[in-house]
Amino acid sequence: MVDVSEHELVPDHSVLAEEELEDVLQEYNIDRTDLPKIKRADPALPDEADVGDVIEIVRDSRTTDQAVVYRLVVE
Amino acid sequence: MSQHAPKEIGELSFGLMDPEEYRDMSATKVITADTYDDDGFPIDMGLMDPRLGVIDPGLECKTCGKHSGSCNGHFGHIELAAPVIHVGFAKLIRRLLRGTCRDCSRLCLNDEEREEFTSRLRRARELGNDLNDVTKAAIRQARKKDHCPFCGGQQYDINHEKPTTYYEVQQVLTSEYPDRIAEAMEPDPDDEDDRGVSPVELADETGIDQGRIQEILSGEFRPREEDRKAIERALDVDLTEEDMNKLMPSDIRDWFEDIPDEDIQVLGINAERSRPEWMILTVLPVPPVTARPSITLDNGQRSEDDLTHKLVDIIRINQRFMENREAGAPQLIIEDLWELLQYHVTTFMDNEISGTPPARHRSGRPLKTLSQRLKGKEGRFRGSLSGKRVNFSARTVISPDPTLSLNEVGVPDRVATEMTQTMNVNERNLDEARRYVSNGPEAHPGANYVKRPDGRRLKVTEKNCEELAEKVQPEWEVSRHLVDGDIIIFNRQPSLHRMSIMAHEVVVMPYKTFRLNTTVCPPYNADFDGDEMNMHALQNEEARAEARVLMRVQEQMLSPRFGENIIGAIQDHISGTYLLTNQNPQFNETQALDLLRATRIDELPEPDGTDDAGNEYWTGRTVFSELLPDDLNLEFVSSAGDEVVIEDGQLLEGTIDEDAVGAFGGEIVDTIAKVYSKTRARIFVNEVASLAMRSIMHFGFSIGIDDESISPAAEEQIDEAIENAYARVQELIETYDRGELESLPGRTVDETLEMKIMQTLGKARDSAGDIAEEHFDDDNPAVVMAESGARGSMLNLTQMAGCVGQQAVRGERINRGYEDRTLSHYKPDDLSAEAHGFVEHSYRGGLNPREFFFHAMGGREGLVDTAVRTSKSGYLQRRLINALSELETQYDGTVRDTSDTIVQFEFGEDGTSPVKVSSDEDNDIDVERIADRVLDTEFESDEAKQQFLGQEHSPTNLSEHADDWWMAQSDD
Repeated sequence: MVDVSEHELVPDHSVLAEEELEDVLQEYNIDRTDLPKIKRADPALPDEADVGDVIEIVRDSRTTDQAVVYRLVVE
Repeated sequence: MSQHAPKEIGELSFGLMDPEEYRDMSATKVITADTYDDDGFPIDMGLMDPRLGVIDPGLECKTCGKHSGSCNGHFGHIELAAPVIHVGFAKLIRRLLRGTCRDCSRLCLNDEEREEFTSRLRRARELGNDLNDVTKAAIRQARKKDHCPFCGGQQYDINHEKPTTYYEVQQVLTSEYPDRIAEAMEPDPDDEDDRGVSPVELADETGIDQGRIQEILSGEFRPREEDRKAIERALDVDLTEEDMNKLMPSDIRDWFEDIPDEDIQVLGINAERSRPEWMILTVLPVPPVTARPSITLDNGQRSEDDLTHKLVDIIRINQRFMENREAGAPQLIIEDLWELLQYHVTTFMDNEISGTPPARHRSGRPLKTLSQRLKGKEGRFRGSLSGKRVNFSARTVISPDPTLSLNEVGVPDRVATEMTQTMNVNERNLDEARRYVSNGPEAHPGANYVKRPDGRRLKVTEKNCEELAEKVQPEWEVSRHLVDGDIIIFNRQPSLHRMSIMAHEVVVMPYKTFRLNTTVCPPYNADFDGDEMNMHALQNEEARAEARVLMRVQEQMLSPRFGENIIGAIQDHISGTYLLTNQNPQFNETQALDLLRATRIDELPEPDGTDDAGNEYWTGRTVFSELLPDDLNLEFVSSAGDEVVIEDGQLLEGTIDEDAVGAFGGEIVDTIAKVYSKTRARIFVNEVASLAMRSIMHFGFSIGIDDESISPAAEEQIDEAIENAYARVQELIETYDRGELESLPGRTVDETLEMKIMQTLGKARDSAGDIAEEHFDDDNPAVVMAESGARGSMLNLTQMAGCVGQQAVRGERINRGYEDRTLSHYKPDDLSAEAHGFVEHSYRGGLNPREFFFHAMGGREGLVDTAVRTSKSGYLQRRLINALSELETQYDGTVRDTSDTIVQFEFGEDGTSPVKVSSDEDNDIDVERIADRVLDTEFESDEAKQQFLGQEHSPTNLSEHADDWWMAQSDD
């Protein structure tokens, strides 16, 4: 099987640590359920990601060099 | 009006309604199916009972005492003789029937499953997912059970016959059971070893008494449940058939009443607000008469609303039902009436249910009942709540007026005298207000109404205007006519982007059309072939201020779609500036001043030189430079292809054409709008348009059929080129016929041939174009327009003068028509150019009949394509807008929907607006950050930094009438 996370077009997905998550939630003043979602079955997710985790995605952007996006893993 | 204090909505709750609640809120029980008696008075406890509200003016409501207009009406109720199903809940009823036990009414899920679905429900609520997915899954799980986990009762399948009939499907003994058993006991004729089963063997195997077996076989005795199963097992036969047992609404109601509260909680229903048995109606609310007013026709007859008609039907059947039941009518008749009652109640709520014939008016027209009032484009939501008809609006044909500023709109005087603005009279504008009133409603700057402080509105008439003007005092309100400088909103449908609705300043004009500056055509996508536009007069100071600051045309110059100007020179403006600057012609003083007469320039600069006769002259570029800001520096390549150099506001070199001043990203307009200000850009565009019109009039510009004619020599050359192409096509065909044509990778030989022929003919047309082009002078009007980007292209010119070229349908040469040929003029399987739609003539030379026919085929495809595209894209746009309408950029830069879920963490990933960003591709240096860094190292304290930076003073300009003041402020 091809590991899509190795593909150059797939941005970096990493699980966000609990403390960092607190900061993010604080910054935007939201609950984690207000984040955009990502399916657990998404092949781009790292193996250790579990339902309820928050994923940090750093992708190249046309307008800014790097754009950071957070997503909540759901079933 | 003013006695209605605005009320705040504290809470909305959705749920089912308790029949007791219907009775409580009912003003009266309705028992009579009639409306008015012979004297024309409403019948008591009839459908028009005066307690249900008033519609006739002058009468008083018997319930609340208010008069028509202020009384909202009151509900009544009908006590239904038997319960009926509410069609709107047919699916939910089916689900509950399938998920709950037929004996004890409990949800057929054990504790573990309940726990699971409750938590899934909670989760779905948190994540904002569809709760239906969870509840559907719960029902599916419950349906799997054959026996109730609580009482152990056997469960049967529920069949739902749309719209409102439910059956319980039970397996019962078929009437043919003796035959089936006998058949199974016979020996198999194909199998010699099989000797069949004797009754004795069967009795042994099933454990049933031998005599009983005989009785069963003769059909004298029906086997009991367990015996039937034993026989079925022994003989491997099916002795059952499906029996449909109809569930009456009253049965269902009893069933639902026994469902415990905590069980429906698992299905996502709040039992406090909605009990499932309330889905079966025992009481029907009667809408107030204000919701179904009757109208009096010209002949004095009353015509009732469709809802009233439907209610009459319901009450009649209800009455008959009760009478029949009391008289002890047979069950069959009762059931028929019950079904009829169900039908009327169903169509009362929804008259477009599939499988049910719609209830019709006497004339045969289907009745418009409750759900038809709400649904669809003309329904309550899309037709009356999201979209309404408005006051203070006008619509008429538009026409061009180059003397107006792009911020302005010419409003016909008859529109201006009809639409008003409210003046709050005070000591300072008292005289002005009186002047308006004394002019009366017909003379132009007049007034139509005055309002006294006690709230009374008086109409200004020709007769009373003088008198009324005297009476006007401070604190009065005067509705005066629109005058020059008022702000209004202007719109052209389809409103596809925000520039389709912009604010303009009024200029009152004679005649009947709205007048626009031609430079605002691109944002509205307007032309003057009969287009109409709408105007809305703003009615309060807040709206006017907002329109002036945010919506005025000049504020919308930059399109958020591509971040460049959408307003600029178009068509003749571009031809004009091209003529003025391309060859850089010379003008004497009179001519130069005439060119600039419609601009604010009234003094010429130093002349560029003197001609042979000793007269001073100014060049076109110098004249154009007068319009530029003094410190503008710019370099770019024009669409004509030459390098444009602007230094210190002087055009030194190059042609001003579409790439410089055009709409859709004209370099100079874009730069002025971004670097200077929107006001400066507006002044520039206005002046470029004026100058261009003057210059095109100076040179004269026209196009006729002779402008596309070419010399006989050139014509011969073109013919030769086409002749050559024909020869090459012939060659290709011959190679193909010999079978020597080599196919291109991935294509068949036929496709390859087609491609090569198309290529050859394409080249032929291009070379014809090249030849024609060579023979046109640079001052040929068609060439000027194509070069400058004003209108048309060199291809258009080629087709007019040289050769129209290959006609195509679906991207291929024309291949349709008769068997193996396009027209009967050609032999079958003729592959030549002319047999497949190559038009070798030019439009000017004229097409021959066959060419004309092929050309019409290609042209038709184009027309169909545009028609299909507009309807498709319109629908796509509607869906996109509906999907995105609630997204909003918050103050923290995130984009969120209404439930605060984040969609983008930073608007567009960079948090910048496309109209505020440089449109230059290589200009991606973060100047701001660099400047900040330099400043931070340079200055120690914030005060010192602030002192150095100073405050930027940008004067606001809110009206065309304030331009002189604005110019003085910004000393440009």
